[in-house]
Amino acid sequence: MWWRSPSFILDKQQSDTVPHQRNPRDTLPLPSPPPFSMADTLQNPNPENNISAYYQTRAAHHAVVTGDWLAQAQAAIGRDPDDSTDTTVATVAGKPFSVIDEFNSWRKQPELAEAVAAIRALAAVIRNCQATTMMELEIELKKSSDSLKSGDTTSISLTAGCDLFMRYVTRTSALEYEDFDSAKSRLIERAEKFGEISCKARRIIAMLSQDFIFDGCTILVHGFSRVVFEVLKTAAQSKKLFRVFCTEGRPDRSGLRLSNELAKLDVPVKLLIDSAVAYTMDEVDMVFVGADGVVESGGIINMMGTFQIALVAHSMNKPVYVAAESYKFARLYPLDQKDMVPALCPIDFGVPIPSKVEVETSARDYTPPQYLTLLFTDLGVLTPSVVSDELIQLYL
Amino acid sequence: MSIQFYQLLLLLLLREALCVLLPCKPCWRTCLSQQTIPHTTSSGGDSEGKSKSADKSSRTRRLKHDIIEAVNELIQDITTCHEQIAEQAIEHIHQNEVILTLGSSKTVLEFLYAAKEKRRSFRVFVAEGAPRYQGHLLAKELVARGLQTTLITDSAVFAIISRVNMVIVGAHAVMANGGVIAPVGLNMVALAAQKHAVPFVVLAGSHKLCPLYPHNPEVLLNELRSPSELLDFGEFSDCLDFGSGTGSPLLHVVNPAFDYVPPKLVSLFITDTGGHNPSYMYRLIADYYSADDLVVRGRIASGN
Repeated sequence: MWWRSPSFILDKQQSDTVPHQRNPRDTLPLPSPPPFSMADTLQNPNPENNISAYYQTRAAHHAVVTGDWLAQAQAAIGRDPDDSTDTTVATVAGKPFSVIDEFNSWRKQPELAEAVAAIRALAAVIRNCQATTMMELEIELKKSSDSLKSGDTTSISLTAGCDLFMRYVTRTSALEYEDFDSAKSRLIERAEKFGEISCKARRIIAMLSQDFIFDGCTILVHGFSRVVFEVLKTAAQSKKLFRVFCTEGRPDRSGLRLSNELAKLDVPVKLLIDSAVAYTMDEVDMVFVGADGVVESGGIINMMGTFQIALVAHSMNKPVYVAAESYKFARLYPLDQKDMVPALCPIDFGVPIPSKVEVETSARDYTPPQYLTLLFTDLGVLTPSVVSDELIQLYL
Repeated sequence: MSIQFYQLLLLLLLREALCVLLPCKPCWRTCLSQQTIPHTTSSGGDSEGKSKSADKSSRTRRLKHDIIEAVNELIQDITTCHEQIAEQAIEHIHQNEVILTLGSSKTVLEFLYAAKEKRRSFRVFVAEGAPRYQGHLLAKELVARGLQTTLITDSAVFAIISRVNMVIVGAHAVMANGGVIAPVGLNMVALAAQKHAVPFVVLAGSHKLCPLYPHNPEVLLNELRSPSELLDFGEFSDCLDFGSGTGSPLLHVVNPAFDYVPPKLVSLFITDTGGHNPSYMYRLIADYYSADDLVVRGRIASGN
């Protein structure tokens, strides 16, 4: 007979003695971080808690505006003009070009996906590169890509986007061109094209999923996914009649923001707390979620709570549809919930919690493929079993 | 009329049309011009004009020849699919088994007959398949070929299913996700089979593959047939006497021709290329349909 051993007591004791050793390893060799308060939370080295920068960004973009955030933003405004001139002066005056800075500046735009920001940053690397040979350029690109990836190990779309970009760009037969400059301009062209494809991906996905939304249907969505929002926006604009059940999406409460946006489009929205999903599932016709990453098994990694909703939907025979762009396909194969790089985010309960009480702060979970019905991607509509085929085609 | 008949008819007509188009060169030239431009860059000199037109007419003939060959291959595939599927019968039907089927399908008939030829002794339960009662025809044909057959009503399927070893049925169409559009009543049989853990085997030639994903198959991919198959017109008009206040009849008679069987209820697909899992069917689609044909591109062109 096998039962769980109370080894968590031992683990806790060990982790209490270890944290102070983690600091030196986590700090990044950044040239000079911009003096912007949001950036402090955006950059990963938060060594005490190992907070995920990716989820911090998402929370920053889509979460409810809290008093603290407002105060921070106010304080930042005073320093903002300096910051923007700093970065522009930096690129002009020959300050060492930092891909991380470029990436962060792109990432601040809420409409831009993480991977697309990385792609644009890498395209900027090619543009600003001082190399004179192709090998040097490739090495520089690889170095920037690695530093971007190591800056935030928890973001799957960032890693996948960087990898796909490297493959896409270095596959150019630049050997045809004899001079370096035309080869470089061709690379830049391909990089821009890749960025554009990634931007158009959302519209393609929205177009594909229109058929699946019929008049009078009820859709359940979880958290704020920009792709799912695009899908719903397109459906609303083509005058389809449907209503949306929106979960709150604790801890960043991004569902509230989504319900705001949907209300602006005159779509009937009903907000639910995360625990009310099973209660309302019989009224729901389909579940639509986004994904932070699509893994090789065909499952998805998404905001915490997705697995729960998929389980409930599956037990009540409701289809679960996932909307994800193709650059989120990653070469990962998690075997269970804990088999991923931990991504933590701080949870604010509103009341002080005694220090003896542990809090589960993981920001994401893994939904196995058997609970998903279809995936809508810019490569077409796929069943979960097709994902591994598509991955092979993308990466080889 | 089966889907096979319609497909064959279409392909034969297409082939005839292509042969008839022989004298009509200009239209072929325009469609070929995009192809020939990259090829004819190397030929130079005065004879270029003459060789180009000669090239184009030979390319015309070659293109037509290729298309006619491809159409012939497809016709061949459709006409021989029964034999290729029936060849696999002995791997699946063993001695002293009980097979259940519903309605009538030529593929199933050939499949069962092939197993009988190889000296397997088994029994067949045939559900009649109301309202067309094609199960009666199948039962007669099976008996004519010497198989022990039992005819049952559709409602008796659930009662009999626990005594059955395997359910073998044909399909009207197979969707990209592995779902099946099958004659009405088969969804019920599939559910009964799942409840009693009986393998549900679908026989389908690869020409029945469809690249679409069903989003509302019960309505959009269905055909509503005449209600007179269920209710005589005489009896129907009697019911019309009892209309509601607005004059619309209180009785509605619905006669769908097809059922959608979701992929999780299907155990195995036997096609002319072999046996496959429902989650594998999307791969066969890539063999028959080019990515350019698929709906995605068409929508993008019209949408943006």
